[in-house]
This record gives sequence, structure tokens and C-alpha cells, in this order.
Amino acid sequence: MDNLVVNNIRQRPLRALISVAGVALGVALVMLFTGLSRGMSNDLQRRSSNLRAEIIFTRSGGMELTSSTANLSTKYADELHKVEGVESAVPVIRYVFQGGGGFGFEQIEGVDWDAYAALNAMQIVEGRAPAGVDEVVIDETKAQNNKTGVGETMSIFGGKPYRIVGVYAPESGARVKMSLAAMQDALQSPGKCSYILVKTKAGVAPEDVARAIDAAPTTKGNKIQFTRDVVTNVEKSIPYLGVFLRALVGLAAIVSALVVMLAMYTTITERTREIGVLKALGASRGFIVSLIEQEAFLISLIGLIVGFAVSLAAGYLIHRAYGLMFEYGWRWALVAAAIGVGGGLLGALYPAVRAASLDAVTALSYE
Amino acid sequence: MKTILQAENLVKVYRVGSVDVHALRGVSLDVEEGEFLAIMGPSGCGKSTMLHLFGGLLTPTEGRISIDGEDVTAASDARRTDIRRRKIGFVFQRFNLFPTLTAEGNLRLAERIHAGGRETAKNGDEHRREVLSLLKLEDKMHHKPLEMSGGEQQRVALARAVINNPAIILADEPTGNLDTENSAIVLNMFQEMNYRFNQTIIMITHNPEAAAMCRRIVQMRDGQIVAPSTGVQL
Repeated sequence: MDNLVVNNIRQRPLRALISVAGVALGVALVMLFTGLSRGMSNDLQRRSSNLRAEIIFTRSGGMELTSSTANLSTKYADELHKVEGVESAVPVIRYVFQGGGGFGFEQIEGVDWDAYAALNAMQIVEGRAPAGVDEVVIDETKAQNNKTGVGETMSIFGGKPYRIVGVYAPESGARVKMSLAAMQDALQSPGKCSYILVKTKAGVAPEDVARAIDAAPTTKGNKIQFTRDVVTNVEKSIPYLGVFLRALVGLAAIVSALVVMLAMYTTITERTREIGVLKALGASRGFIVSLIEQEAFLISLIGLIVGFAVSLAAGYLIHRAYGLMFEYGWRWALVAAAIGVGGGLLGALYPAVRAASLDAVTALSYE
Repeated sequence: MKTILQAENLVKVYRVGSVDVHALRGVSLDVEEGEFLAIMGPSGCGKSTMLHLFGGLLTPTEGRISIDGEDVTAASDARRTDIRRRKIGFVFQRFNLFPTLTAEGNLRLAERIHAGGRETAKNGDEHRREVLSLLKLEDKMHHKPLEMSGGEQQRVALARAVINNPAIILADEPTGNLDTENSAIVLNMFQEMNYRFNQTIIMITHNPEAAAMCRRIVQMRDGQIVAPSTGVQL
């Protein structure tokens, strides 16, 4: 191809590669972080949407995003059963621990399987329900992602081995569950749970039941949360997540722009004489600026494609290694594209204008 | 005969630190259309400064230059660029071809600049072939500068200068980097352009043999034209 822009890039492959890597890094950063945020949020939403209970009864601090407190007496379940409009109340202990490889966090729940499964219309699709103190069941997604299943073991509570005795579906709440008694035993919290799932009777508004629970002398003073709000609350429970993402996007744009600017600045210095020749040939300032911007655009475009490819590959590998969920959306992909290309074009603008402003005679005599 | 270039009392002073360097001290020169003019003189006498002034790459401290009826001195930088684009073709001592482009690519780039950044006309391929074959470069069309000899590179540079039919070719020691054989070839090409197409050429040279091929020789010293223009019998 006899094209000045393309040939200039091909002439200095290492520099082009570094520029492409800079843009790709910015794009990949945006894609991975927003993909992770979206993936984890959607994953949580999917699993929460499978919870059939309308109300989560808990205590302050009992159900934070990364907490593993079992500070609620299971006796509240009996009291909740007595509240008008309550069909069932199932206590759950949630334990949060650091994820595989020290990356992210995972959850495990202790439940009375029969009551929990009946409440959420879940069933064991392979094996059986957990019964012993060293037994767990996992959902189909975890079995698939971790390439594990019935008969295998997994480590929880500081490396203690647990046998997988069953696989259940659909996914709901934590991906690993054991019996409530086993979890209480492991956490040395007999008679305690983290929260109680409350299913309301058909035709009764959850708001009315919530008010009744809050009014009942034996259950009042605790925290009542609607299941539908769980995802919203989880997002709220990570302070400044939106600000963090926006700051990240800004940083990615700056990284892309700086790398391209440095690369193009070097290019301009190297090609000073050529710029002088362009001027002698009668090239306008606009022509010279557009030539350099075209080069930056091409580099940014390649960086963008590489960035997308890296995001997809890294997302897949991280998911395989650590089970973290990535979901990429068009909106953030467009933002990443705008950052990659826009950052590149903006970064090249200063070197381009500087080149266009060079004195032709000085440029021609540049060694 | 039409005067294609008119320079009146050109003065150019460079400021180097706190010292004023007088590169030109009142040069006046008229160049007729179709002339092949040599400018000679020792190094530092102001030849290149004068050529850069003619090409609108510099502005004079005093004086006036008119190219094909257009006043270069009163023009803005953008306007001078435009005049250069339309009316001037440059040939340099060091060829100054774009190393990443082929001979054809270099010509195409000059055409694109001449067309204001737009793609060139459809008959451009034919025209480029014509010019390259005139300069005996038809087999070098797809070669890059480093794949050509110095003489061939300078002929491509000449082709680039003439491709857009400029009013004037300004050549700054075009044979300075060539051996005798290639110098002769390139000078013959210049002469052929001048004879066949009535192309106006102003050439700086240190080489008396090169100057002898021109119709007129201007001698410079210390920023001034010192000897009356010499007509050469060809």
C-alpha cells in the first residue's frame, strides 16, 4: 500500500506497537472494570430474582455486602410465622469469604434445605441435599464454571474440606449451600442466622406484611428489606462506585492520550525534515494536522480493536480462574471506543499543531 | 516576454542572538517566463535565502516579490503557502523524497497537496507515467528512494516538482550530492524541461559546468548581485 500514513506506521513498528498498547490499555481498563461491575451486579440480580420470598428480615449489620455476621436468633422465624400474612419464614446464615486466588469474594449459605428449596422452587438435579456437617451443594453455574460436581471436595472456612453431595437449580442466593446446623456449627453460632426469608401469603401485599412485622411486639425493631431492593441496596452499599467508574474512564482517556501524544511527538521530531518538505510542496497547516491525526486515528483504531480483544480474553480468563462474572454492554463499549479514539486524536493534536507551525526553512535544514 | 518573477530591493536580516546578520542587502531581479537561470556565489552569500524568499518559505525584511503577478510579500502565511502550492516546484540538494513512499507515491502526494488534500483526477496515473517516462524512470515507478541511485532519486524529485505544472522550479544545488555522470543526466533533464515545456527554472549551483547549461547566470556576493546577469550562448 503506497499510503504515507500507513507506511509511516509500518516504518516504526515498535513505536506503533507501544502506542497501540497504550490505547488498548485504556480501552481494556474501561471494558474490564465496567464489565466486572455490570457482570457482578447482574449476576446478583439474577440470583436474587430467583428468591421467591418477598421480605428479608434481618438486623442492622447482619446483611452487608461483605459481612458474615450471624447475629439474628432463629427463634424469630417462629415469631414471624405468627404474623398475619406470612406464609413461611426460612432462616439463612450467609458467610462471606475471600474468593479463589485471593481475588474478589464468595458467599456460602447455611439453610434448612427442604424449607429453603420449597420456598424458592429449587430442586436437586444431581446427587442429594446436604445433611452432614461436611457436606455442601452447589448450583449448576458453579459446577460448570469450576468444572466440579458431586463427589468432589472444596475448601471453606480456612481450608476445611467439604464434600459436594449435590447440584441444584435454579441458581438462587449464594452458589454454595450447606445445612443451617452445619453452618451454625462451623461458625460456632448455635441458634443464630444472618437473615430470615419471609414469603407472604397469596393476595397479601408485602408492604402490609412488612408493616405488620414491624408492628408486632416480638419482631419489631429489626431491619425489614424487600427482596426487590436487594440489588439497588448492594449497589448503594459500594460507596462511590459510579464515581470510581467515571474516574477510571477519565484516567483511561488520559493514559491513551498521553501515550499517543508522546509517540506522535517523537514522530514529529524524527520527521521534522519531511514536514519541511511538505511545507515546501505547499501543504497547508490543515493538511499537515490532518496527516498526523490520520496516523493517530489509525493507531487508536487498532488499539481499540486490540483493547476489545484483550478485554474479552482477560474477562474470560479471570472468569475461568476466579469465577468473577463479566458482562459487557454497548453503552460502555461506546464509551471505551470514544476514549480510545478520542484520546488518541486529542493526544496527537498538540504534536500535529506543533508540526504545522514549524518554520519551513528550519525544518528543511533539520539533521 | 512575460515576467514570471519580480524581486525588488530585497533585504533579509536574521537576528542571531543580539547580532543582526544581513543575508540579503537589496537584491533586485526579474526572471522571464521560460528562463533557465543559475545563481552562483560563495557559501553564505545569500543564494539559499533568496531562493527561500522566492518560494515564500521566508518573508523579506524589506522589498517586494511578485510571482506570476501575485505579491508574495504582502501575503499571509496561508496565502504564501497557497501560492507556493500552485506556482512553485522545489528541488533540493538532498532530494528530500519521502522514504516510505515509492516514486509514484511521492508524485501522488505532491498531486494531493496541489489539489488541496483531495484525491487527484482519474487521469493522474497516466500523467504520472508520462512524467516519469519523460525522466526515464518508468521502470522505477514502484521503487522506494532507498532502492534507487542518487541520480534516479533526484530525477524523481524533479518529476515531483514538475508534476503539477508549476510556474517556476526552484532548485537548490540539485547536483550537489551527485557524481559527474548523474549530475550530467539530471542537468540534461532540467534543460529538456526548459526547452520542451518552456519551464522556468531558477537553480542555485556552485558548479560552473552546471551554470553553463543555463541561459543566464547571476553572481552573488555578500548578499548582493555583484555581476551583471550573464547571458549564455547555448
